[in-house]
Amino acid sequence: MRDDDVFDRSRDITILELLDRVLNKGVILTGDVVISVADVDLVYLGINLMLSSVETMEQLKSGKTITGT
Amino acid sequence: MILIYALLPVNNDQDALNLQLSELKGISGENLYIVSVNEIGAVASDVKAIEAISDRSCVLEYAEVIERLARQFTLLPVRFGSAMKSTDAIVQLLIRNRDEITDNIGKVSGKIEFGLKVFCDADKLSEELKEQSGRDSNVPAISGGENHRSVYREYITRKLQVHRQEELLVTYVDSVIDKIKVSLSVFDASCKFKKMTTASNIINTAILVKKEEKDELVIKIENLQTICPGLSFVLTGPWPPYSFVDFTVKHDTI
Amino acid sequence: MSENKILFNTASLDTLSVELGNQAQQTEESKLKLTPANADSGLAKLVLTLVELIRKLVEKQAMRRVDGGTLSEEEIERLGETLMKLEMKMEELKKHFNLTDRDLNINLGPLGDLM
Repeated sequence: MRDDDVFDRSRDITILELLDRVLNKGVILTGDVVISVADVDLVYLGINLMLSSVETMEQLKSGKTITGT
Repeated sequence: MILIYALLPVNNDQDALNLQLSELKGISGENLYIVSVNEIGAVASDVKAIEAISDRSCVLEYAEVIERLARQFTLLPVRFGSAMKSTDAIVQLLIRNRDEITDNIGKVSGKIEFGLKVFCDADKLSEELKEQSGRDSNVPAISGGENHRSVYREYITRKLQVHRQEELLVTYVDSVIDKIKVSLSVFDASCKFKKMTTASNIINTAILVKKEEKDELVIKIENLQTICPGLSFVLTGPWPPYSFVDFTVKHDTI
Repeated sequence: MSENKILFNTASLDTLSVELGNQAQQTEESKLKLTPANADSGLAKLVLTLVELIRKLVEKQAMRRVDGGTLSEEEIERLGETLMKLEMKMEELKKHFNLTDRDLNINLGPLGDLM
């Protein structure tokens, strides 16, 4: 395994951990003047991107070459 | 609209805070500013439309602001996704929730959060536990009545086996949690445990310790790994104290 | 965010990334999304989730009693019949509303998962 692979994967895992925190934890604001992001769409988009990065990692693992990086 | 990133105490050294904020940018490159009242402030930036920030890069930009500020200041991270109409509404919010915000800031002051996940090989662990328990997997309470071998009895027997297996696992997970607690007892740490997130992720822990205890914490986790060779420990951090500010800031109409 | 925040790790990075990705997806899928368009199936999901929760609690409690060894042969027999029928009924309902076990674990946001 190349060193940058290890680095990229570690960073992806870090980002998953970070997203879990910033989307699911922290102070929650509520009330009539709070305007909330349509979090469903937001998170779905986030998840799709995340999963595609997991797929990329899977491909790396199985030895398929990905050009451009 | 105004997006809020974090709540924090603001007092005399607001210069340092302003300097730090001037070096950062909010979502979509907007400037960051402080809305404050009675020595409590909210880090905020303007946002044109709430729909415009609905993607992952914005979430990461948002988290980056919290992360950078948290390195230098004690703060309460705000969950991504809430905006308010005006600075006046923010001021009202800060006034109404002053005590709760101050309490929470006190709890996380000078501390940082770490995430500890414990993984196992689920099948292997379940086999090991079965062996260790040495308990007969037959069901003593109902094995007596040979003349009553009905489908219902067999159903109960199967369920009972699953139940016992679960109990063994829960007991085991609790024993690992105890080990973690013992190992962390040298710190004045706050911990939150979540059991059995998935079959292989048996424990999820959020740990809050003093900033200067980071290196010692890593050593403790390394030791834990040595004590429990069958498990995998993953320690991440430091994080802003996301998992230790789970209160809801209320803002209702008067 | 280019920084690596993994301070200590003995798990394989592949396993870890797949596991965390799955967890994130699960959290999302389990959020209860009630909109005018899906009000029917959304409500079915909510109701069945609660029914399933109670069924599992009952089953758990029953197993504790059986394990305790204080139940008579006849009681065990009846218990088996009841629990088995309950489970079968539940399977029928899930099939009818196109729900899986995973659908029946609602994420309660700050309160975490229901089951």
